[in-house]
Amino acid sequence: MSTTTSRRQGRPGAVLRAVPAWAYVILSAAVVLPPVAWIVSTSLKTASDTIEFPPRWIPDPLSFEGYVGLLTSTNSRFFINSLIYAVGSIILALAISIPAAYVATRYRSRRMETLMTGILVLSMVPAIVVFIALYSMFVRTALINTYPLLIVVYTAIICGQTILFLRNFIENIPVEIEEAAAIDGCSRIQILWRIILPLIRPGIAAVAIFIFVFVWNDFLVGTVLATTEDMKTVQNGIVRYITTGFGSFWGLFAAFIVVAFIPVLSIFLAFQRWFVAGMTSGGVKG
Amino acid sequence: MSTNNPTRTSYETATPSTGIQAFRRARKDRMVWVYVVPVTAVFLFVFVGPLIYTAWTALHETSYYQIGKFSGLNSFAELFSDSELPARIWTTLVFSLGALVIALPAGLLSAIVLNNLHRFKRSVRSLFLLPWLFSQATAGTIWLWFLNPNYGPASAITQALGFGPTDVFSSPNSALVAVTLMTAWWSYPQAMLLFLGALQTVPVELYESLKVDGGGIRHAFLNVTLPHLRNTIVSVVIVLLMLYVQMVTIILVTTRGGPIGSTETLSMRVYNQMFDRFDLSGASATAILLFAVNIVLTLVAIRFRRKESL
Repeated sequence: MSTTTSRRQGRPGAVLRAVPAWAYVILSAAVVLPPVAWIVSTSLKTASDTIEFPPRWIPDPLSFEGYVGLLTSTNSRFFINSLIYAVGSIILALAISIPAAYVATRYRSRRMETLMTGILVLSMVPAIVVFIALYSMFVRTALINTYPLLIVVYTAIICGQTILFLRNFIENIPVEIEEAAAIDGCSRIQILWRIILPLIRPGIAAVAIFIFVFVWNDFLVGTVLATTEDMKTVQNGIVRYITTGFGSFWGLFAAFIVVAFIPVLSIFLAFQRWFVAGMTSGGVKG
Repeated sequence: MSTNNPTRTSYETATPSTGIQAFRRARKDRMVWVYVVPVTAVFLFVFVGPLIYTAWTALHETSYYQIGKFSGLNSFAELFSDSELPARIWTTLVFSLGALVIALPAGLLSAIVLNNLHRFKRSVRSLFLLPWLFSQATAGTIWLWFLNPNYGPASAITQALGFGPTDVFSSPNSALVAVTLMTAWWSYPQAMLLFLGALQTVPVELYESLKVDGGGIRHAFLNVTLPHLRNTIVSVVIVLLMLYVQMVTIILVTTRGGPIGSTETLSMRVYNQMFDRFDLSGASATAILLFAVNIVLTLVAIRFRRKESL
């Protein structure tokens, strides 16, 4: 990864130069922000104010009943499920992709490259294609609608990118360190565990963040492979308000979106650089 | 990202065996493959198996996900004789290319603007990235609520202007336009990030020498930036097209492919055939068509990945 940054110097003309750029920023804000502001506004209204027309942008009176109304057992189940899927996928994906990334980087052979290319190509297969098959294969078995199945599916979808990303990290570790360790009598697994693992910690962190956000934001796996309400994910919870909603559910719906977005937003704000590095590593997402 | 690391493995270094070399050769054993067994197993289970199963079901009659008699290529014959298929392909094209035509320039422009900003860079970057931080389901549903014909602000604006309520999802053409725009809205930051990475590798000296020669901004863009980004543009096009061709979520949470099939892309058709019409073999046949489209895009992607030696 290159670390060249463009140099810049302050000139008096620079202020004038920046005018079109800021015009573009303002235009973008006008396209990006309205629906977001509208959701935040709706989440802070009373139920009757949400269906007032013409609508008011500033909630008056300010009300938290949307947020309070979220505290149902169904909703907390959605959050717990998503958390289980995310943590499970992080553990499983790391456990299987670190060894694979390690040998793929250090023990290159034509066959190994073929296998890695195969994995990368397969992970680009449209998700819906494999989902319909997985669904029809397992719909009559006990495996459908279970945590292990969904975790394995999430892991498989994410693995290609994870391995690619980790390989870049391992490549930057000098081989000499490993050789020295080997001469001292370390076995391959010990080298991986004691030397490689500590050195690629930043990579592992980026991958974990990436997987968490991917699983948290995914809608389709939960829709297809979790068949009962108590196994669904946060994203299913959002859409559920719209598909099964009755009465004035818009305040709840908006509050749910805000709460569901908080984990992703806080991870983004805290780890911006890693977040972006992990998310752009493999190309296709979701 | 260049990977010309001189010390790789014993495969490439053919020097006579020192102690280290001997050690390396000893490690060139079959035990290496143990490390890729788990990942291979997961891929066989989630990708290879289901793909074979899809081909298998496409060749059989099915009722309610139950595989029946062998039916040869019947489901493909049905697929290609379906009078709706050209319309679905057209929808897929309009949706994918429409979103691409918006997201690609928006992503490029955002990246260039961001790269040239001196102040508030972090905030502007967060602003540009915001749509992409939302899940697809969130992006779809917040627009759904914003465009709600009865209570949404969009409707209020059009009514104030005297056009009546906005009911974009009830007429075929406007629904397709809306879904396409939403998808572009959600995905342009991805293009931006890829461009941003590439822009940072453009040597600043090129711009400076151009300035000495008296070239303007337009000149700099056409003669330095664009040529330098050529490969990146191709890979962004591929990444975005793959994303759009397999897009289900945004369409599913807003229109489910309706009204009257106007937003049913091939991916959405697979979903609907499977879960609305319970037609497993039909869905499998469409899925294989989708898979074929994807293979073409993947091949191009791999070509370019090699070139950039990622």
